[in-house]
Amino acid sequence: MTTPALEVVGLTRIYGTGAAAVPALNGLDLACAPGTFTAVMGPSGSGKSTFLTCAGALEQPTEGRVLIAGQDVTELSEARRTRMRRERIGFVFQGFHLLPYLTAEQNVALPLRLAGRRIDAAARRRIRELLDRVGLGDRAGHLPTQLSGGQQQRVAIARALVTGPDIVLADEPTGALDSHTAASVLALLRSLVHELGATVVMVTHDPVAAAYADSVVFLVDGRAVGRMENPVAEAVAGQMAHLDELTARTEREMV
Amino acid sequence: MFTLALRSLRHRATAMTATFVAILLGTAVMGSFTPLIQVALDPGTPSAEQETLLVLGGVVGAWGTVIALFSVVSTVGITVRQREVEIGLLRTVGAEPRQVRALVRAETLVVALVAAVLGALVASLTSRALLELLQSGGVVGEQVVHSGGGVALAATVVLLLVVSLAAAGLAGSRASRGPATVAPSEGRAGSGRIAWWRWAVALVAVGQTATMVAMTMATGKDAANPYDAMAMTGSLGLLLAVGLAALAPLLLRAGSWLLRPLLVGTSGHLAAYNTSRRSHLLAGVLAPVMVLSAAAVSILMLVGIDERTLPAGLSPELTEEFETINLLNNVVTAMICAFAAIMVVNAFAAVLADRRLELHRLRLLGATPGQVRGSVLAEAGIVAAVGAVVGLLAAQATIVPFAYVRGEGVVPDAQLWLPPLLLAGAVALTLASAVGATSRALRATSDAR
Repeated sequence: MTTPALEVVGLTRIYGTGAAAVPALNGLDLACAPGTFTAVMGPSGSGKSTFLTCAGALEQPTEGRVLIAGQDVTELSEARRTRMRRERIGFVFQGFHLLPYLTAEQNVALPLRLAGRRIDAAARRRIRELLDRVGLGDRAGHLPTQLSGGQQQRVAIARALVTGPDIVLADEPTGALDSHTAASVLALLRSLVHELGATVVMVTHDPVAAAYADSVVFLVDGRAVGRMENPVAEAVAGQMAHLDELTARTEREMV
Repeated sequence: MFTLALRSLRHRATAMTATFVAILLGTAVMGSFTPLIQVALDPGTPSAEQETLLVLGGVVGAWGTVIALFSVVSTVGITVRQREVEIGLLRTVGAEPRQVRALVRAETLVVALVAAVLGALVASLTSRALLELLQSGGVVGEQVVHSGGGVALAATVVLLLVVSLAAAGLAGSRASRGPATVAPSEGRAGSGRIAWWRWAVALVAVGQTATMVAMTMATGKDAANPYDAMAMTGSLGLLLAVGLAALAPLLLRAGSWLLRPLLVGTSGHLAAYNTSRRSHLLAGVLAPVMVLSAAAVSILMLVGIDERTLPAGLSPELTEEFETINLLNNVVTAMICAFAAIMVVNAFAAVLADRRLELHRLRLLGATPGQVRGSVLAEAGIVAAVGAVVGLLAAQATIVPFAYVRGEGVVPDAQLWLPPLLLAGAVALTLASAVGATSRALRATSDAR
């Protein structure tokens, strides 16, 4: 079996201590094979965001391991994790997070620069290809303010891919977009997985967005409670409604 | 609106600190001198001392007012601009532009009132100390009694409140213009056009400076009083610097373009684009650096030239005048430098507080804290270099004509080591305030996560 692009084992993250301790993640296990598109869904407070910050080596888990292409990142120093993050993990955020004073092309080049690589002809060509690939070949010299929301997110996706990362982590990438633009951005993500062999993990609460993935993992109370292969939006929505009901019932019992 | 303003203030206590400090110091400095005017007008004050006191209170007080106002206006502006997102949010939930302006004014009024009253309390002590200093230095006679200066202090407080409100009104109307949106406008391109009034201010200042320089060089040598030349040229360096400060965004873009070859590495790359494409942000820092450099260099060089070239055998009256004038010069310089220095620190803190999200974003993308710090430091380097060079050029408007009239030629005879030293101080201050502000901003971003 091939090494998963991302694997988390027994991932636990507890905020606060003593009586105020709140487990955001509670022994989560999850593996994503290379070249797959996985959606992570769950009700509010299920630990989706914490999963992403731990998987992205932004935050250290309380317990458990995070392996990026077989390498355990929880054992690394802050400096090594930073290096890991910029070379082997790509991020796509809900709010795009482009630097306002850099053009589309310069934004895409940024992770390479931060990693200390020279922007030579080959790198330039790669940046151009990625911008072409996300449909913005003619907008390379534009500043973020001169681009629409969908276009900005496409630039962010190109930026996430520029280092050729093992895994791309997307946090509600279409949360700030209208449904039409969202659909085209999701279709783009999907085609990048299937055509370029990228591995994408997307956290979302939108069943329609999740249906673009190869599989959906459902989180409840910091644990994976189910998995759906080749999802369709209606089935995902049904499952989510069921999960909401489950959590509501547990809460009633606790009271 | 007022209750909302109070709540909002409690939430942003740190953000308002800059405004608070600017107003407090403004009141304290102005309030140290304005009571001298009141003392001068006191019936018990001998008429011989009246003129000295009026000149001291009037000249230094007027300069202090101009500088304090400049710093209050710029600080309030920066503080309001930091809150564009929040103001956008208020407007989307239905606040009218009028209400937004009222909110900003109410907040500023509360902060200004507390700061100005505290400043006046400080000034009531420092103005007494100042009079004692003047008396022990023999500038003012011992028989003059400090009357407390209550009226003058009250007038100072009112003046600062009015100015703060005007500044808040200006900033508030700028913030509430355009359509309501919560989208942060951090990306607003800085390569936009320079507003007409900036050109007007710069043109008037350059024109005025050029006329005065020409007049002094043509007629100054024949003047009967050796201080006529000083009176004409003393403030030209500062005038030119303030005028050019109106064009700070343009100067920053030009400087960033010229320095581009030196800006290597990731940090330099980021700094170059940030300074050229968002010059309006860092222009708020550049302006006080320019004013600081120009004021320090021009006035200290002026005093140096004066001491070397003063004709011998002056009448005792002129000698006394000489003492007062040089005391004035030194006090004004110290005051301007202190204010400009505080503004540099304030402005950097405000600009970087504004950019926390952006620095956090860099960290998310894999920048090390060192790279983030490096890019801000490189920006500060550009600002410091442009500020020092422009400030030095502006200072020539004072130095050249004065040195020429006093027979030293176009270049002064001595103390040429002084400008580099002063400029190094200005550069060091700029860099240090950038480093301090970045550390705070980075700490805040890791807390935010």
